[in-house]
Formats: sequence, C-alpha cells, structure tokens
Amino acid sequence: MIGGLAWVSGVLALLSFLLVCALAGRRVALAHAERRRLSTEERLRPLALALVEGESVELPRFGAYESRALARVLARYARQVSGTALAHIGGFFEDRGHIAREVAQLESRRAWRRASAAHALGGMASTSATPALLQALGDSDRDVAAAAARSLGHLGALDAVEPLVYALVDGRLPRAVSAQALLSIGPDAVPRLRGLLADAPVEVAAFAVDLIGLLGEASDSPQLVELLRDTSAEVRAHAARALGRLAAQDASDELRRALEDRIPFVRVNAAHALGAIRDAFAAPALARQARGDEFDPAEAAARALARVSPEVLVAVAAEPGSGPHLAQAVDLLHVQT
Amino acid sequence: MTGNGQPLILIADDDPDILALVAFRLERAGYEVVQARNGEEAIQVALARRPDLAVIDVMMPRVDGYEATRQLRQHEETSRMPIILLTARVQEEDIARGFDAGADDYVKKPFSPQELGSRVQAVLGRR
Repeated sequence: MIGGLAWVSGVLALLSFLLVCALAGRRVALAHAERRRLSTEERLRPLALALVEGESVELPRFGAYESRALARVLARYARQVSGTALAHIGGFFEDRGHIAREVAQLESRRAWRRASAAHALGGMASTSATPALLQALGDSDRDVAAAAARSLGHLGALDAVEPLVYALVDGRLPRAVSAQALLSIGPDAVPRLRGLLADAPVEVAAFAVDLIGLLGEASDSPQLVELLRDTSAEVRAHAARALGRLAAQDASDELRRALEDRIPFVRVNAAHALGAIRDAFAAPALARQARGDEFDPAEAAARALARVSPEVLVAVAAEPGSGPHLAQAVDLLHVQT
Repeated sequence: MTGNGQPLILIADDDPDILALVAFRLERAGYEVVQARNGEEAIQVALARRPDLAVIDVMMPRVDGYEATRQLRQHEETSRMPIILLTARVQEEDIARGFDAGADDYVKKPFSPQELGSRVQAVLGRR
C-alpha cells in the first residue's frame, strides 16, 4: 500500500516537473518570438517609411515572415496617417496582392480566418476591399461582422453608412462597434445620414439624427428643426438633442416651442439643448418648467437654466414654492464654482 | 539651429512608429531631429538642446502634451520656442486647451506627413 502511494507521488512529482519545464520552455519560446518580431519590424521600418512617403524603392526578396512583418508595420501606419501617405500604403497592398489574398480569406470556412482577414483589410488602406467587407458585415459569425464594421470605419467607407446604422438599430453588432465605425467615417457620413431621415423606420431615423448631432455642423440644423415637428416622439427628442450638440442657435425658437411638447422626454431633451445653446431668451420658460413640470423635465430645465443664466436661477430658486429642482441646481452651481 | 545651419526640431511621442515617421519626414525636409518618448523627457531634451521648434503628442505617459507645453513656456530658454501639438483629440475644447497651454498650432491625427512638414515650415517661417 505504502509502496503504491510512493509510486503514485513519484509519478505526480515527475509530471509536475515536466509541466513546469514545458511552461518555462513555452515562455522562453514566446519571448524569443516577440524579440524576433520586434527586431524584424525595426529592421524593416526604414523600408516601410520609404513606402509610406511614396519613394521608389526596390523591394528585396522577402520570405513569408518578413513580408508579414512589413505588412504589419504598414498596417499600423495606415491607422495613423492620411492623405497621399495613406494612398501609398493602399497602393502597396494592392500591388503586392495582399488585398486579393485577404478578400479570398473572407470566404474561408473557418470563422477565425474570416475575422482575421476582415481585420487585416482595415489596415490596408484600400477601398477596393469595401464590397467584400460590406458583404462580411452580414456574416453569420458576430466576430467576423464586427471586424468588418471596424475595418469599414477605418477605411472611411461611405457605402457602409446605411448598413452600419441599420446594424446599430437591430443589434446585429455590438452597438459600440457600429457606432465607433460610423464615428470613424466622420463628417463625410453626414449626407448619407441625411438621406436616411426621409424614408427609414423611426428607430433608424432617430439614430441617424443622433449621429448628425455628433458629426455634423450648425448648417445641418434646418432639417433637424423640421424633425422637431415629426409625428414620432423619439425622432423629436433625438432632433432636440442633436440641435443642442450642434449648438444650433438658429433653432432656439423651435426648441423653446418644444418645451411645450406633450411627451416628457422630448421636453427633457429640448431643455438640455437650450442649456447647451445658452439661449438667454429661454430663461423664463425654463424657470416655469423647472417649477411646475414632471420630475425629469423639471430637473433638466433647472440644470439648463444654470447654464443659460445662473443669476436668474438663483433669483427664481429664492422665490417661495420654487420646488426642489431649482434648489438642487443652485447647490450644484455652488459645487461647480 | 545646429552647427551646420539646419533647424533643430524636437519630436515627442510615446509611439515609436510615429516618432520614426515624423523624424523621417522632417529629416528628408532638411531638418535635424531629436526625439523624446514622453513629456518629461521632452522637457529635458528641450532645455538641453534648445530646439528651434517642437512637435509634441498630446497623449503621452507621465507628463502629457498640454502639461509639457505649459512647462516649456515657463522656462525662459524655451518660452518662445514654437510648439505644434499632434493630437487625436479635436473637440473644440481640446484645441482651445492646447492653445491655452501655449501651443502655436496643432495637427490632427491621423495626419498627413506632408501637411505636418508644411506646418513646421510655416511656423518656423513666422518666427
């Protein structure tokens, strides 16, 4: 019996020793691979820089390892540069067949390969990959679709605006991913977003309005002002919020009117917008709303009044029966100052 | 100005790729370049080498670009040195914060190396 136990413990000790050796060996191998990667990238960086700058360079004959390392360095630069430098990077990847190779990988049966290809195409700065990536947006695997969305964002693909907004609404992709992709496309997306306001379903239009508020400029306000009279309360609320973000002073009259909207969350957003615009003419209406409206609109109005006119806020809050929201806004005013 | 008459430019960024890219572009344009990997090092190098201009990234460890700019403005040796901020933060208040700290110009990331070269030339030309 004791002999058997001794034998088992000996085997376990040997296995533990082998496991520790294997882990140590793996760690050494990983460190070595990392050092090799870094030194190869460092060695190839001057070549990558010359390519980014569009200098005519004769590429030496590379093995697959060096070729991948150069592609990695260029892909990193593709996320940092714009203009002709970006075009040079895109040209390199097209000419060397990298785009075609990765696009072919999007057809792989293995999801990780498709996801990896979708990610890689985002760093290759070539819009020729856009159609394949748009198709990958509908991939049954969420990771592949998310990688495609990010890459379309990096590429600034305008054709992706509509599908990305729909993906934002139907939750096919994590919202943060589709929203970030749209923000990466930037202000160029605004005309496409405006195009969605007319016919798209209410939820889509509401998101499009929000994005216009984030990416647009004050000149986009007329169309948003019209949406303050939309039949959908959700669209009206988003329009008010977007107008606030755009600091659209031209919209002040309509936003003051929106303080009378029958839906509370529209009134909340109208109050926030007037605060953001710092519309001094809105002070009496905001004070009225802060005194007598439902909880959320009243609180929003008091906060907006603090931004529009702290003096009026302090005076109104001192009146009898002014309510808790004005008093709270005055307290916050003291905290901020 | 360096011994051979080339303007000396300080580049500060914690990303080695960006450091190399900006240095490559500016050296090709005929400037001499010194590099720093964070805000603290940028201040030390600027005080030691007195560059003609500094290109400083905003998001850096230890001392960020805003703070480095503010501190450089407080030293007599670097108080008049032109500073261009390199920043991914382009909200109005971020830009205003850069100018408040004492920056002369800013370049938005992702950036065009050609445009950065032109900005450097323009800012140096104004002095």
